[in-house]
Amino acid sequence: MNDQVGGKQRRARFQALCQSLRPDLLRFAFWLSRDRALAEDVVQESMLRAWKAQDSLLNEAAAKPWLLTIVRREYARTFERKRFTTVDVDELIAKEEPTLAAAEEQDIADVRAAIMKLPDEYREPLVLQVLMGYSTAEIARELDLSGAAVLTRLYRARRQLRAACGEDTALDPQE
Amino acid sequence: MMDHTSYRSAIMADPRDADAELRAHREACAECRAYTEQLLKFEARIERALRVDMPGGTEVLPFARKSRSFTGARRWLAIAASVLLGTAIVGGIWLTLPQRSLAAAVVAHMAGEPDAWQRTDIAVDAPALQDVLKNSNLRLKPKAGIVSYASSCSFRGHMVPHLVVQTPKGPVTVMVLVHEPLRKSMQFEEQGYRGTLVPVPGHGSLAVLMQDSGVSSAEIARIAAQVDDSIVWTH
Repeated sequence: MNDQVGGKQRRARFQALCQSLRPDLLRFAFWLSRDRALAEDVVQESMLRAWKAQDSLLNEAAAKPWLLTIVRREYARTFERKRFTTVDVDELIAKEEPTLAAAEEQDIADVRAAIMKLPDEYREPLVLQVLMGYSTAEIARELDLSGAAVLTRLYRARRQLRAACGEDTALDPQE
Repeated sequence: MMDHTSYRSAIMADPRDADAELRAHREACAECRAYTEQLLKFEARIERALRVDMPGGTEVLPFARKSRSFTGARRWLAIAASVLLGTAIVGGIWLTLPQRSLAAAVVAHMAGEPDAWQRTDIAVDAPALQDVLKNSNLRLKPKAGIVSYASSCSFRGHMVPHLVVQTPKGPVTVMVLVHEPLRKSMQFEEQGYRGTLVPVPGHGSLAVLMQDSGVSSAEIARIAAQVDDSIVWTH
């Protein structure tokens, strides 16, 4: 009986944790995949994996990075399974048009479209830094890169975005 | 002291970097200060752009997912052989590499469910099967054959029934996709699977597929028609 109660409490606690983090996990998966339906699948599968592996979460305060890592790995697995050989970015942008159009201002929609066009290796560290608040060292650990490589990718990501969005790049440093 | 190029490279990689050397350069250089302000304004746009609206959702964990069970009796044995005797042939064109399509998503889902492909004559428990089916408002006629696997699976944002029906030609996977309406049937062949997507007016579509072991497209189409005919919609 006590076990049953404990199990229910454990489940409710985990459910609440996942529920509170779900929007961020979905955003992260969305920017990895640029596909809302795929992001939902990846997050759903990730939560199932997280539930099964919850004993490995020693500190609840670290739940967000723990879940983000699971989402990232699940997305990689999905990607391997689907074996996408080409991605038509314009098609993805068109598919996400309602998302893009939901932006309050046109210039935000333009930035979204530009982010969608960034190469994966630039987009992912940018999302981790800007959206998830990761430090350079944390991104390096997550992506298994050196700190210098992370900074280079972030620099290139912003440089590409600035150019794509018509920012004044006259003073931007050149590589 | 740090030069302009080093400063701007560093600040472009992390506009909120609070490093003391960067701060000292910024305080001493009006041009780099203005550059940083411009960069921070753009950074705010990036942040807003990344913050796409996402649902909180109530269906957070797939606790409703049912595990398969092989402990039941042979409830679906009677007309398994008749699965291949259907008369309707769903025509279509074999599609190669339907990437990012519904067919590709179905095939990708198969890779995550290898246990479902066992040949067996043991049916899943009837209550477990009913649990899986009831959320999609359907039940199966006995002539559907032996249902050896039944699971509620997350598929393109919805929980859908994933069934395996045993036939003389081998296990056939059926996914009931009530959220995926189709205009016409479509056949596909990808990653070792052959299958068909069949529209079910008012109830989305069915995905029916087999591992490619020499089964012809016409046979799969017949099986799909038989499966379709075995479904009773309750709503």
